[in-house]
Amino acid sequence: MSAGNGHRPPRTYWRSLEQVQGDSRATEFLHREFPPDASEAPAKLLEDGVSRRSVLAMLGSTASLAGLTGCEIIRRPVEHIVPYVDAPEGMVPGVPLAYATTMPFGNRALGLVMESHDGRPTKVEGNELHPSSGGASSVWAQSSILDLYDPDRSKTVRFGDQASSWNEFVAAWTEGDLAPAADGSGLAVLAEPSSSPTMLRLKSALLERYPQARWVTWQPVSDENVDRGVESAAGDHYHALYHLERARVLLSLDSDLLSTEGDGVRNLRGYAKARRAGENGSQEMLRHYAVDGVHSLTAANADHRLRVQSGRVAAFVARLGHALAAEGMELPLAGGAAAADIDDDWVQAVARDLLDHRGAGLIVAGDRQPAEVHAAVYALNSALGNVGATVTYHQTPDTGTSSDADLAALVAAMNEGAVDRLLVLGANPAYSAPADLDFAAALENTGSSGAVIHVGAYRDETSRFARWHIPLAHYLESWGDARATDGTASVVQPLIEPLWGARSAIEVLALAALGEPRDGRDLVRETWSELLGLPLDDSAEAEAPAPVEEAAEAETGEDGEEAEAPPVDPMSLPFPVALSEFEVAWRRVLHDGVQEGSALPAAELTAVAPEDCAAAVQAAGDAAGAVAAGEELEVVFRSSPALYDGRFANNGWLQELPDPITKLTWDNAALVSPATAGALGLENEDLVTVTCGERELQLPVWQVPGQADHTVTIDLGYGRDFGGRIASTANDEDHTPGANAYLLRTSNAFHFGRCALRASGGSYALAQTQDHHSLEGRPLVQEADLDYFAEHPDFATAHSEKPHENSMWEEWAYDDSPQWGMTIDLNACVGCNACVVACQSENNVPIVGKEQVMEGREMHWLRIDRYFSDEGESAGMLRELVRDLPTEPQTSFQPVPCMQCENAPCEQVCPVAATVHDSEGLNAMVYNRCIGTRYCSNNCPYKVRRFNYFNFTKDTPEVMKLGKNPDVTIRSRGVMEKCTYCVQRISRAKVDARQDGRPLADGDVVTACQQACPADAIRFGDITDAASGVSQAKASPRNYNLLDDLHTKPRTTYLAKLRHPNRDITPAPPPAEDHGEESAGHGEDAH
Amino acid sequence: MAQIFPKWTLKVPLYLAAALPVAGAAAVGAVWYYGSPEYTDVGYRPAQPVPYSHALHVGELGLDCRYCHASVEESAVSNVPPTQVCMNCHHVATRESELLEPIRKSAEQGRPMRWVRIHNLPDYAFFDHSVHVGAGVGCRTCHGPVHEMEVVYQAEPLSMSWCLDCHRDPGPNLRPLDAVTDMEWIPTGDHAAFAEQAIAERGLAPPEDCTGCHR
Repeated sequence: MSAGNGHRPPRTYWRSLEQVQGDSRATEFLHREFPPDASEAPAKLLEDGVSRRSVLAMLGSTASLAGLTGCEIIRRPVEHIVPYVDAPEGMVPGVPLAYATTMPFGNRALGLVMESHDGRPTKVEGNELHPSSGGASSVWAQSSILDLYDPDRSKTVRFGDQASSWNEFVAAWTEGDLAPAADGSGLAVLAEPSSSPTMLRLKSALLERYPQARWVTWQPVSDENVDRGVESAAGDHYHALYHLERARVLLSLDSDLLSTEGDGVRNLRGYAKARRAGENGSQEMLRHYAVDGVHSLTAANADHRLRVQSGRVAAFVARLGHALAAEGMELPLAGGAAAADIDDDWVQAVARDLLDHRGAGLIVAGDRQPAEVHAAVYALNSALGNVGATVTYHQTPDTGTSSDADLAALVAAMNEGAVDRLLVLGANPAYSAPADLDFAAALENTGSSGAVIHVGAYRDETSRFARWHIPLAHYLESWGDARATDGTASVVQPLIEPLWGARSAIEVLALAALGEPRDGRDLVRETWSELLGLPLDDSAEAEAPAPVEEAAEAETGEDGEEAEAPPVDPMSLPFPVALSEFEVAWRRVLHDGVQEGSALPAAELTAVAPEDCAAAVQAAGDAAGAVAAGEELEVVFRSSPALYDGRFANNGWLQELPDPITKLTWDNAALVSPATAGALGLENEDLVTVTCGERELQLPVWQVPGQADHTVTIDLGYGRDFGGRIASTANDEDHTPGANAYLLRTSNAFHFGRCALRASGGSYALAQTQDHHSLEGRPLVQEADLDYFAEHPDFATAHSEKPHENSMWEEWAYDDSPQWGMTIDLNACVGCNACVVACQSENNVPIVGKEQVMEGREMHWLRIDRYFSDEGESAGMLRELVRDLPTEPQTSFQPVPCMQCENAPCEQVCPVAATVHDSEGLNAMVYNRCIGTRYCSNNCPYKVRRFNYFNFTKDTPEVMKLGKNPDVTIRSRGVMEKCTYCVQRISRAKVDARQDGRPLADGDVVTACQQACPADAIRFGDITDAASGVSQAKASPRNYNLLDDLHTKPRTTYLAKLRHPNRDITPAPPPAEDHGEESAGHGEDAH
Repeated sequence: MAQIFPKWTLKVPLYLAAALPVAGAAAVGAVWYYGSPEYTDVGYRPAQPVPYSHALHVGELGLDCRYCHASVEESAVSNVPPTQVCMNCHHVATRESELLEPIRKSAEQGRPMRWVRIHNLPDYAFFDHSVHVGAGVGCRTCHGPVHEMEVVYQAEPLSMSWCLDCHRDPGPNLRPLDAVTDMEWIPTGDHAAFAEQAIAERGLAPPEDCTGCHR
């Protein structure tokens, strides 16, 4: 027990408000892992029952089978082997290939490496060479594989209500009456922002061919405000690229830069790196201040938060300007800007910190904030010397910034009948356009006199008004290209032929712009001929795309002696071919996934003069003037961390992915702070009607501690009427997941605005996972402030109760090498969920649906526990539950996979030895032995085992089976499952090493969660190798075992979280010796 | 009045007591024997779309296994050859054979052949050909005397206990690495000494853990 000078203030952690208030349902989940009737069949199934007919059918088939067993050996079902007719070059059946490609996302891009099993893409991984990815990926990239195989995607070209074909569409355009007037008058194209060089080229070609045509770039969730703000302050169109790894102070203003906004993956990477600086007690760790109304993922990770309504962030910026001036910055501001809802001392402290870290600070405003705020933020960053250091600006060409004004003008033109040909490329404006524009009516108007052509992945809200509907190809099945924020160009390389003959946006655009149908690959190669500056040699027809790594292996194919040859350049071909210069460069780009050296230099920007900076800050203050602080409710529309703007609404993985903060699945809700809910007399799940002007929306309430008072946050993207089976119908026929917040969203309150809220009576059950698999309030998350850590490096383990060393059982001897282990760094983890989806994708984890989630049956092998905490006395384990609701909680995230205990409690209770240890320290789950007693889950202190209550994979559509990982067993009903440390990857690495005749090296085995993690929080490897990354992490003083006192000896351990508070805001706790004794002494009292 | 139960019925319990254990043992024995892969799977000999004779191609003509099953050394699965591999020879050899009609049709129309799978492991068991071949386990060890088979059949049970027998004591099934595909290889000299040396040289440690094969 260490006694220091300072003490760590006692903290109480809780997972949900129900738990704090002692709600009976939460207690139920605490005491029983599965609720009482969890093993019952759903009511619907029981009602239908098993029909007499089906019983007879079963009996009949049993009898006929019995009759067959007498004669020769019969095997049912007969399985077939279907080899190729002519096998493609370089492909070995059973050996997965890796291809580089790019996921375009708005005007950004994420470089990926796709795993392909026998021609079927199965797993998304990040591309280390791509600047936006750096080897990691996001929730959306990981789950995009499921979209590719979505059976609800649009499958045919449609003309009105009839199935048609691409050729008929081409004929209608080139020969029929579909083509617009010669000068393009009446033609309008509505497209989402894109950084694709080919798209940009075709856009220019279109506007050249049809000079009168109108091009509208629009997306419901965009960075229009950022672009306009930066443009007004910097004088030109720039994309901001944040270098968080260089920052020491970050002030985020209503920004979710770590998750839904901007280059989330890249930002998160830099953020985690800067936070890690404190690992060795260095005071150089990034300090994060957040000012916002929404409790976003980014806000949840801040060291200090100031909760204000979103509309008051502009006022905060003005206040900050005055504070900076008061602290000595040259900023000629007139007047004061005090505001009741903004704590003066807090702002002053932030201003001092920013001034102390000129050139190493960063202010980031969120996409929702008005352009004036962004202009002011740019000016302040510039004046503080941060521009060029922690943020650089790049003139990356794109097809244009999303423009709400252009959309409104388009609607006006459509209503006037000035548009007779509307080409909608990928967007879904009938669902997502501002409600006051009534886009559906405009579409109807255009459709009645002219023609609407909709290019979309689904037959959705917009396609209903379209004369022609063309299925839009997924990025994994079409050629394309994209640029990252810094300008790095990369190719979108298809992994598979379009499953249903869909066309890519550039192919449709090419028909319009060039007047003839063109192949997507040719279009992209033409663009790249320009980009690479090499003439396209059409005579050399290219072979199949070049795989990343396996080309070398294919080389050593047929005879063994070639294996002796020196390592082959993966770009070389197994036969001599004269390739044109372009072909060589093109193949290099396809192989690497990026064009080397194509990043644009940062723009040379002159520092903003103090007067201009002051003017910008003043303008922000003036913009805020319109919104007074007050008791009036504010509604904030936010892009969903799962469904984004609704485009991922038919993705089951994302629908069932617990929100990082609320842990809600399958629904959105009106999120309010506990204080606001209390003032309005509302409780969780109460149905309310939110009114904005004349528009109303009914949805359930959910309380979120840490959200600003008088603010209602609603996620966009839910409540789809025409989005596919998952998006529109979920589990029961009459329920659409969530409520459509776009119905409330109008042009003048596009991001936030005033609203009223009243209870509309009744309640609506929400499926949330935060009470599931709970660990009874034990001290699980270990964290300390940085200065405390510097003095007490062993704080994470100092107060843990030391287990007795003698086990009840004969312990397994772990003599062999390797011995697998994992560390999860809570200081790096921000809770972004990428690992959860990566695990789901890698391990064929099923989704179970809302009804089953409510029963606590979600199947995620890796869950992220979210704890709120506040400082206060803790009665050791679980605080007396009923207490005042806290308003300013801190949030901690803790990913929990199977701990792979050396001394595993689950193994000791399994009656059939279905869970046993292997010699490398894995706690193995043997599905074919499991009889489903669930004793193991009962005895698991970490609650990481998942049970198949039903055959969740039985009704998997045939096409979705293509995306399953063939290296992992599909589990059936009645079987327990859990994290395996990706044992299939361990096996593959071992086989690969053996084939290469080398020992297994550190880094050969990368688990799916580790691969996806942008924060690099997960380390995995051999713990007997002292040089391995995981061994070094485990040597950290912050390393601790979860529930150490149980002597389970987990192989997965945690590194404690550090916070870096500003002592001007949170004073250091007084050196209270008696205090430390008291809380430390508790463990002894308990004995 | 006559007795309802004649006198001999008095002995029924005795007979039952004697017979039940026998019946029970017989039932267990029957499941043990008739339910095992040894009985249910060994000898499975389905008709194939083309009566391809391994006895002719391997036994008489001496084709190496890897000419057709090319991926066996580098992949978990040993492939069944693409139609084109058949046509490599048969666009010249026995071009007119009626039996080869499906192959010619497949090559002409680009429609793949549908062969019937014989050696089939449960979906939860993952076998890797490349490591076994690389360790020096002969094809014949698991697939039997294929070079004598007019119609291929399953020669070994491929049951878990059968797998484990070898994983626990791989020595008897190891060969020199150049004799893996040799159908007629027989151990010469002191095989035990050879096996010991092979295990050491090749660094063989066949897993006996569940995770070795089950994922």
